[in-house]
Amino acid sequence: MLLIRGLSWLILFQLIGTALNVLFLPFLPSAIIGMVLLVVFLRFRGRVSDSIETASSGLLRFLPLLLTPPATGIMMYGSEIAADAAAILVSLTVSFILVVPLVGHLMQYLIKRQLRKEGV
Amino acid sequence: MNALSMAWSAVVAHPLFLIGLTLGVYQLGQALYERTRMALLHPLIVAITLLIPALWLLGLEYPAYRDAVFPLTMLLAPATVALGVPLYHNMRRIRQYFWPVMITLMVGGVFVTVVTLLLAWLLGADFAMLMTLAPKSLTTPIAMAVAEQVGGIAALAAGFVMYTAVLGALMGPWLLNVTGVTEPSARGMALGLAAHAVGTSRALEEGDETGAFAALAMSLMGIVTALLLPVCVAFWMML
Repeated sequence: MLLIRGLSWLILFQLIGTALNVLFLPFLPSAIIGMVLLVVFLRFRGRVSDSIETASSGLLRFLPLLLTPPATGIMMYGSEIAADAAAILVSLTVSFILVVPLVGHLMQYLIKRQLRKEGV
Repeated sequence: MNALSMAWSAVVAHPLFLIGLTLGVYQLGQALYERTRMALLHPLIVAITLLIPALWLLGLEYPAYRDAVFPLTMLLAPATVALGVPLYHNMRRIRQYFWPVMITLMVGGVFVTVVTLLLAWLLGADFAMLMTLAPKSLTTPIAMAVAEQVGGIAALAAGFVMYTAVLGALMGPWLLNVTGVTEPSARGMALGLAAHAVGTSRALEEGDETGAFAALAMSLMGIVTALLLPVCVAFWMML
């Protein structure tokens, strides 16, 4: 029952997100709006109920499985990228390899600097 | 047609066949990953490298597969909403690191978009291709909408998002290890910003704090790019 109740809450926030997406926020996916609403709701309530905790940890454990079907979609685009294949693969791969350490180090540096400042 | 091949066709045509196949290859990946702990054998990577040839052998196109496994994909929406829970649990830390998060987001977001466009442009990609590449770090629905808006090809943008996802699962945590990023929140920021949902999923494997910052970075990166990229492109066209 806990799982069902928690899942109902998550679906409710998803559906409110869908309504807000159509009404006011066409550039944001409904699930992202739903996530923000859930955070606001939890802040307001001050704690996470057992049902929401059960449903969310249950779903998040299987996130890679849920992402498998969309990721399989890369099989569709072989012929379309053939013309620009080199440009595409190099730019996507190189920018990824550069941005991960850049973001990690910048964030780590800024955190350490802030902690040092707060320390004095 | 003999009885055996009739039975086989019936099995393949059953609505649960492709769901069963997906669950099967995923568990195989999970087992391999738990044995080896090699990023190359992450369940997501194993699953898609087995699924693609399997679908090809069965003579199935991707849209047929996508429709058949819709019950699984449908759960992605509540799972995305569920990311709000780790975000809430780590709210105190996120507020504490408000400025580091914002500065990293701006610098990282601009950097990854500019480097991608610059490299592709130098290698001869045309305007439509550049606009399709630009949203590659975003989560699929935002990336498709943004590509559409700035003059790219939405379906192809989804393909680049997925290629980035595969890079994220393969190399994300490894890149952070070899360059010495140890702070959980910094690892989460990098994975979420550079590799959206798959990066966030990898980050959650490392822990709640890493996962929360990845979910935060993925959402903010999506929101900020959706707002700013069309404006920047419009401005560029006026010059």
